Formats: sequence, C-alpha cells, structure tokens
Amino acid sequence: MGGQTRIGSSDRGGSRNPRDMAPSDLTRRGLLALSALGIAAAGQRAALAASPDGQLTWAVHISLAPTWFDPAETPGIITPFLILYALHDAMVKPMPGDVAEPCLADAWKMAPDGLSYEFTLRAGAKFHDGEPVTAEDVKFSFERYRGTSAAMMKERVAAVETPDARTVRFVLQKPWPDFLTFYSSATGAGWIVPKKYVEKVGDEGFKKAPIGAGPYRFVSFTPGVELVFEAFEGYWRKTPAVKRLVFRVIPEEATRLAALKRGEVDLAYSIRGELAEELRKTPGLSLKPVVIQGTFWLYFPDQWDPKSPWHDQRVREAVRLAIDYKSISEALTLGYSPITNSIIPDNFEFYWKPPAAVYDLAKAKQLLADAGHRNGFDAGDYYCDSSYSNLAEAVINYLQEVGIRVKMRPLERAAFFSSYSEKKLKNVIQGASGAFGNAATRLEAFAVKGGAYAYGNYPEIDDLFIQQATETDAAKRTALLDRAQQVIHERSLYAPLWQLAFLNGVGKRVGESGLGLIKGHAYSAPYEDVTIKKTT
Amino acid sequence: MKNYILRRVGYSLLSLFLLSLTIFLFVRVTGDPTSLLLEPGASPEDIENLRRQFGLDQPLWVQYWRFIESFVTGDLGLSFYYRTPVLDLYFERLPNSLLLAAVAMALSLLIGIPSGVLAAVRVGGFWDNAGKIFTLLGLSLPSFFIGLVLILFFTVYLGWLPSSGSGTAWHLIMPAVTLGWYFAAAHMRLTRSSMLEVLGSEYVKLARLKGLPEALVIGKHAFKNALIPVITLAGINLVVMINVAVVVETVFAWPGIGRLLYEGISFRDFPVVQAVVVIGGCMIILVNLLVDILYALIDPRIRLES
Repeated sequence: MGGQTRIGSSDRGGSRNPRDMAPSDLTRRGLLALSALGIAAAGQRAALAASPDGQLTWAVHISLAPTWFDPAETPGIITPFLILYALHDAMVKPMPGDVAEPCLADAWKMAPDGLSYEFTLRAGAKFHDGEPVTAEDVKFSFERYRGTSAAMMKERVAAVETPDARTVRFVLQKPWPDFLTFYSSATGAGWIVPKKYVEKVGDEGFKKAPIGAGPYRFVSFTPGVELVFEAFEGYWRKTPAVKRLVFRVIPEEATRLAALKRGEVDLAYSIRGELAEELRKTPGLSLKPVVIQGTFWLYFPDQWDPKSPWHDQRVREAVRLAIDYKSISEALTLGYSPITNSIIPDNFEFYWKPPAAVYDLAKAKQLLADAGHRNGFDAGDYYCDSSYSNLAEAVINYLQEVGIRVKMRPLERAAFFSSYSEKKLKNVIQGASGAFGNAATRLEAFAVKGGAYAYGNYPEIDDLFIQQATETDAAKRTALLDRAQQVIHERSLYAPLWQLAFLNGVGKRVGESGLGLIKGHAYSAPYEDVTIKKTT
Repeated sequence: MKNYILRRVGYSLLSLFLLSLTIFLFVRVTGDPTSLLLEPGASPEDIENLRRQFGLDQPLWVQYWRFIESFVTGDLGLSFYYRTPVLDLYFERLPNSLLLAAVAMALSLLIGIPSGVLAAVRVGGFWDNAGKIFTLLGLSLPSFFIGLVLILFFTVYLGWLPSSGSGTAWHLIMPAVTLGWYFAAAHMRLTRSSMLEVLGSEYVKLARLKGLPEALVIGKHAFKNALIPVITLAGINLVVMINVAVVVETVFAWPGIGRLLYEGISFRDFPVVQAVVVIGGCMIILVNLLVDILYALIDPRIRLES
C-alpha cells in the first residue's frame, strides 16, 4: 500500500417530505403536484427502508470485557475486534475485499523517503456525541494506546504531527514498510477515540460509557450477561440496517445451540463437533464457517543438524506427502479448515499461494527409502499445544503409516510456547500462530535468523528478508516476499497442516450475517452491512 | 467459654490462611495467564510486557504478600481479564447468586422435607421406595446433565422456557430446579433418617401410648425435632449454593459467582479465582464458627469436652 494515495467515498441521497406539498385540485398544476407527491412519497419509503430497524441477537461464547470498549487497551487477540467494529472506527482497517481500507482517513500517502505517513481525515466523520473526528483525536488515540505492540510502535514513531484539523503525519525514526500493517490491523492504535470526552470522563468513565465513531453506539452492558448497541444514523459509511444489536454471553455450547434453535438468538458463535453436525441438519438454521488467520504446521528444529534424519530434505518432503490433510479437516472441523499449504494465512498481505498439498503415501515411502529409511525411523518427540492434541493424534497416525514413529508430548499452551521460543524443543514441533501482521512479520518470527521461533536459518531467506525490510516499493517488496515463501516451500522448512476454521450457527431471520465478509476475521463485521431477512 | 471461642477463632484463621495459600499456589500450577490473553505465537516481548503488567514477573512470595495485603485492605486487585476491580465484579454477581440460591433452597426444602417425612412415616412402602429412587438419582446425576436435559425438553421440544440468561422469573425456573435437585435429595435423605430416629424415640412412643392422634404425634412432636439437623444442613448448603453453582450457572448462562469463578478459571484470571475462593471460604468458615459457638452456648457438654 506504501506510496499510494487511497480515496474513499460516502455519497448518500436525501428525501423530501410530502406533507410539505401544497394541496391542489386536478388541474395541470395539480397533476404535477400529485406526481411530485408520488415521487416524494417514494422518496420517503426509500428513506424509511434505509432507516435502521429490528434487532439481532448474538450468542457469544466468551465473556465480554469492558476493557475491549477502549481501543487503547486492545490486547493481541482477535476477540476485542468483535466490539471495536461496532463501537469504534479506525483510520484504516480490514474491510470486505481489502486488508487496509480507508475509513476515518479517506486518503494517505507515504513520503518518498519512507520516513513519514500522512493521513487526510474524512470530512463529515463524527463521534456518537456529534463531535467531528479531528487530527487531535487521532494523535491523542495513538499516544494513549497501550495495547499489544505499543512499545514497539512508539519506539519507531518519532512524532505525530497535526498540521491542521484534517491532517495527521506520523514521522518515523527510520523507514518502516510495515507501519501501516501495525497501524491498521495488527494493533488497536489506529482506532480513534474522542479526546475531549476521554479527558472529561477519564479512562474508567470511558469504559463505563464509551463513545466512538463506529456504526453503533453503546446502550448498556451487564457484565457476564449482555451488551447492547444501537444504530448510529450519522455513521459516514452507511446507515446500519439493523436498529439494535444484542450480544448475549452463553458459555455452554449446547445451550447456545438450543437458544438458536428456539429463536432466542439469531447467531451463535463457536458450535463444534457433533453439535455442528446437528446444526447443519436442523432445518432453517445454517452452519457458517469462518476461516481465521490461525495456521498450523509441523516444524523440524533439527533440520540444521547434519546427523539428524530431518537434515535430509527428502525426509521432510516425505512427511508433507504422508499426511491426508483433507481427511483430518473433515474429521475435526467438518472439512471447513482449508489446506492452504502455507504458514502464512491466506488473508495476509504479501501472501504467496503455494501449490496445493498432495497426499501420496507411496511417494512418501519411496522418498524415505531413498533417504535410507526403508523401514522408517524413530523420530523422537512430537511437541504440541495440549489444546490441539486431537490434531496431533491424527497427524501422528499418518506419520506412523510411513514408518515415522514419534512420541506425543502435549504441553500446556504457555509452557509450549515458552519452550518453543526458548529453542528447547527437539525432533518435531506442531506449531501454530494466530498473531496479527503480514507475511513479513510472520516470516520474521518463524523463518528468519534470530526469529523468536526460528531454530535455524537459510541464508537465501535471510537475504530476501533483509532486502524487503527496507524496500518501500510495494511491487518489489511483494516479489521479494513471494520468493522467500517459495524457498520455504521448496526446502520443506515446514510441513503446513491447515488454516483453522471457526464454525458458527446462523438463524432463519438473518439476511446478511457479516460472517466471513472480512477475510480472516472471526466474527460478524462490518456491522453496518448486517441485515435482517425481509419477510413478505 | 472465652477460651473455647478464642480457640475456634484461631482454627478459623488458620484454615483461612491455609486456604489462601493453597488457592494461590494451585492457580499458578495451571499455567501462565498471558498465553490465554495473547494469540499463539505472540512475540516474547508482548508476553513479557503482559507478565510485568500483571506482576507475574515478581517472586512468588512477593505475589502472595500482595494478594494477602489486597485482601486485608478489601481491595482484591484488578481482574486480568476484565481489567476492572475484582470486588466490583464480585458484588455485581452476588445478588444473582443469592437469588438463585434462595429459590433453589426453597425448592429443595419444599420437595425434600415433605417427601422425607412421607418416606419415614410410610417406611418400606411405595413412598419410601419412590423416595429412595429420587434420592439415588438426585445425588448421582450430575447437574450439567440435568440442566441440558431440561433445556432439551422445555426449550427445544416444548418451547416453554428460555434456554438461558436472566431477568425474568421464567429464566430462573430451570437453573433453580437443576441446582435444587441435588439438595432436595440430600434434604430428603436427612429428613427421612432424622424422622425415623425421632419416631423411634421414647417420648414419641409415650405420646402414642397417651392416645394422641397420629397426625399430632408426627406433625407436632416428631417433625419439629427431626427438623433441627435439616435446618442446620440447609444453612450450610445455602452458603455452598451461593459459591459453587459453577456448572449450573455456566450451563444456563446465569450471571452469578459460579460463572465468575468459571470465567476466572478459564482465563487463568488469578485475582478473580483467588477472591471468589477465599470469600467463599470465609463464608463457610464463618458459618461453621457461628454454628460451633451456638452449639456450645446451647449444649454445655460441648464446651466442657473441648
């Protein structure tokens, strides 16, 4: 996106009131007046149709935390965005069909030297209290941001300048091509809060009665029970179609499904396994899978050790061919987790699409035989996050079929990731990441020398990575990152498993659920696009 | 008497200290909360920042001292997950738990006591056998199973009751029945055995020999005395109901203390788990202390023996 100027639009038509028309008889003037009346009435109908109406209720699987009402505290998980997309708006954010769509900023440009980004604010964007969104609000929101990656962002941004009420300039310490990725999607730093209001009510007051610039305004929050929003008709993008959104917390999966069946809720998040199957069979309800940005893979940390069997690329390739990914996805997520064959989520910027994964047992055995392991080998330990041991069991069964014998070592999530990052694990690691970012940030952590989760490196990948890190030309950067991903694929650095799907239920009243509109986003969004089905 | 009370208070404080230490250590054994508040694969810097923010980078004894300090000052700290004071969260949920426990207790007593009396009076008969089956089912069926069966029947098939939530009397019915079911069985069993004991006592035999009507013997002389242990148990059970309705509150999305504890455990929200367990422990210890003191006041043998 660097170097470009992006422009958005928000044209909306008005209407006339027929009651303003003068009464008339059936003269030519009268007929004209009647025609005008007809046109005006049609206009009013259109206006009425455009005004928000009705209520949709979501059954949410987790408790909603008030800390998520404040973008400044956005942690590194996807869940707060469930609320942020309704209550707040960002300068630039992922939207349907675009990972960085101009929202409160209607244009931005990067300086030719890559040392600053200048945003122009959209005219007419307002907070729920009617105050306009200004450059000062943008600066204030960035400076008070203390969520995930806050320290890193503030270290790299030298200053935030506001030359006028509609212009904001972020001055960087040095060129940082990923600035926009972090500002628009990987953190909550680009989500704007009203400076005057926050200063007036304080941080705690803001969490109790938040005001944002999003399509829905805050109505009420009962901890552990429900959160209610109401449509904000002054939202710049469009007037939301649904008047009221209610998020009811129902932690038990079976209860969520019962509530959906009875029509108490219109959408239910996270319905898995047999319950998902039951949902799929229920007339009037539909199963809506959403593929999130969580990719899973096998990693061979010993591949740089010449004495290890994993050093031989043919062995790593054999593993990739030995696993029937589709059957695993079918068994565990009803086939909805796609086999993307990459450690980079397919919605990430700079994602390179690799060739499709292949399941070929005979070829896998042949490769192992060629590598001197005709009868297979004892491959040691297979480490995984214990929450995903079901996936590990399935993979291990396939490995055993080609003679690769491993012992499953499930570890509690924190212990697993700390051991993983401290480079304490050996043999085979079933890794995963749901971290935000783009292809470059994911490679930095997992495939490049010094990466938090990289146990070794390939100089070719490192060189490509170093070059892209300062490349401000988007096309050249894409080519470099494509090549890096290609090398990873060719060398079988990883054996990617799947990109996880999140299964949800949708009731019969729902027109547009908003699920899956934004690629990689787990929840309904954008809420202004959500609709109730029209009944005749 | 003074020594007796002082000794009981001392035991209570010791129990409280051991409880606080146990829960403090146990929650930490479950793992690191940062792993549930960040996406898998988050950068080690982000993980470290969060640990620092929560004070988890401090030595264990410092963390324990802070926990005790916050408890003594009535602060209880900030929830890791909600980032709001734990005390506020607790008091927001307490009225819901009190309401649920009160209704469930009333139901359990309304079912348990009459059926227990009936079973004792008709010992070996139909009502006694029916009561035994009810007790067996009540004490052995897990509440999540009963809850889900009720939802399936009354919500999905009949469509009579809301599946979950709170706010109206309709919402209260299924959680109260599920929670009260176990306790109804427990109260029935105790009422039956207590009644049988009383009915076999000398003064009841005397009342019968004097020719008093059976209804008067049972209703006035036996029932009142048989009720004492049931009421004692009900008092303790009420405190238990308030604090441990975790499964029922989760199944029915009832926003009480049990759900708060469930959320705390799910997200390794140490301050929440510690607070709920220690406050619950305080309630139980206090009730037991009061019962001990009352028994000693009523029965001099207890204080003399001790």
